[in-house]
Amino acid sequence: MPDTLGYTFVITGAPWTTQAPQSALSVARAVLAAGHRIDRVFLYGEGVHLASSLASPPSDEHNWPHLWSAFLTEHEISAVACIASALRRGIVDPKEQARYELESSNLRSPFEIAGLGEWVEGNLKSDRVLYFHGAN
Amino acid sequence: MSTLIIIDQSPYGSWAGREALDMTFSLAAFDQPAALLFVGPGVHWLCQGQNADNLGQKSVEKNLSAASMFGVEDILADAGSCARYNLAIEHLISGTTLVESIRDTIAGYNQVVFAG
Repeated sequence: MPDTLGYTFVITGAPWTTQAPQSALSVARAVLAAGHRIDRVFLYGEGVHLASSLASPPSDEHNWPHLWSAFLTEHEISAVACIASALRRGIVDPKEQARYELESSNLRSPFEIAGLGEWVEGNLKSDRVLYFHGAN
Repeated sequence: MSTLIIIDQSPYGSWAGREALDMTFSLAAFDQPAALLFVGPGVHWLCQGQNADNLGQKSVEKNLSAASMFGVEDILADAGSCARYNLAIEHLISGTTLVESIRDTIAGYNQVVFAG
């Protein structure tokens, strides 16, 4: 086994509904601190709300979309919101806004919108795939 | 790399199961071996004769019937869960295989993914 492992993170729990984005961020920081690599963060199901640029919690609460995007940008980590999950829940980039003739877009940088193929690729290329679900 | 997707919630109450099904179909579409295991209340996904019209949803039975066409290798149901809900194999959609041991089933795959 190599000393350095590559991780794919899959987040399916929404911020403020579940602790999943918070737990995932703590683990992500620990993974990098231990010298490992994060290949990609994949948002699926309710987890796509983490990619909203419009979330505006009170100023004395953590802003999980902002904290995550800052972390991803700082460490140049690829982050993808599943297109089917995102469109259902109103997370839209300018391209999908134009395609569906929507009033606005709200995808927070550096998140991108792509298909489940990115998740399949993570399964094949990463040494570990970690799931952060919300409680049912 | 073989993957077992486990669905442990009834259909229709949440989209998590449908999205887990999409994950399964996606693996199969990329020629990755994938199978589904239904446990606990999740075995209700497999009931024949579902009518979801009154709910305003699409029947998951139709989605599941397409699984083999998409290349999903197995549709498995935990025998103990089926017994608890009084579901015999003839009540379940065709192609379902009952498994006696969840532990042994899981051991046969490289990775296991739970519906969120």
